[in-house]
Amino acid sequence: MASTLRLYLTCIRNTLEAAMCLQNFPCQEVERHNKPEVELKTSPELLLNPVLICRNEAEKCLIETSINSLRISLKVKQADELENILAKKFLRFLSMRAEAFQVLRRKPVQGYDISFLITNYHCEELQKQKLIDFIVQFMEDIDKEISELKMSVSTRGRLVATEFLKQF
Amino acid sequence: MMAGAEKFVEADNAEAIITRIEHKSRKIESLLKQNKPVEALKTALEGSSHMIRDERCKSANWIVVHRALMAIKDVEGMFSSLDPEYYDILMKYLYRGLSTGDRPTCDQCLRIHEKLTERAGLGCILRSLADTVNTI
Repeated sequence: MASTLRLYLTCIRNTLEAAMCLQNFPCQEVERHNKPEVELKTSPELLLNPVLICRNEAEKCLIETSINSLRISLKVKQADELENILAKKFLRFLSMRAEAFQVLRRKPVQGYDISFLITNYHCEELQKQKLIDFIVQFMEDIDKEISELKMSVSTRGRLVATEFLKQF
Repeated sequence: MMAGAEKFVEADNAEAIITRIEHKSRKIESLLKQNKPVEALKTALEGSSHMIRDERCKSANWIVVHRALMAIKDVEGMFSSLDPEYYDILMKYLYRGLSTGDRPTCDQCLRIHEKLTERAGLGCILRSLADTVNTI
């Protein structure tokens, strides 16, 4: 289990290191505009092959690159209904505060739980290695966070139920 | 002009290519029985001519490569006998395997991917991302 996680994260890290080669590229269609090409997908010559890395049926990571931007979409593991709800709420909480994260996308791509959009400007201001470390760390921490949340919900539920049933 | 001529040749050759792939698949089965997984993988990767545009041929080729990949037990040993010219095309097939989502395939592909990146470097990954013309 743990070794597959390590391999999965290594694969994503290597792919990101190779894919994060971004440069400034003004929009070809409209003068004086500069848009992330991976979002618009107007010119096929500016896009690289999208890569889908699956760990198993439930977890996957889609990495789409273009000349000036890179989009990473993640689907986190959701074992049961409770984890489903917790993951959705938690990731929505993060996505709403996307401004603070800079590289986060406000809405995840269709079919995924959370998305990152990294542009050439981010690569100029921030260090590429640290960005990749952040993404991989994020993936590790998400699983821990959701397990913690689930455990606290079950504990609270158990306490409440015990208290309530004491009166009977 | 040339591209048009190639397309013509393609359509006629689709059947020929599929026959070739079936022939390759039989050869691979026999190599696997003889306990030679690396040779089987080399045979599978060899014929993958980049001019194949037909989806059926690509799928047939993928099935054959998948069979050879899953039979590999010793990844380190495989790399010591695999020629570097096969690295790029192997990387493309690994990414195809990773996109399937099937657990044993993904496990195997992740294992091989780590070792292949150590051997071939990030350039190999980038070539597989950047090659939009010869997709696998």
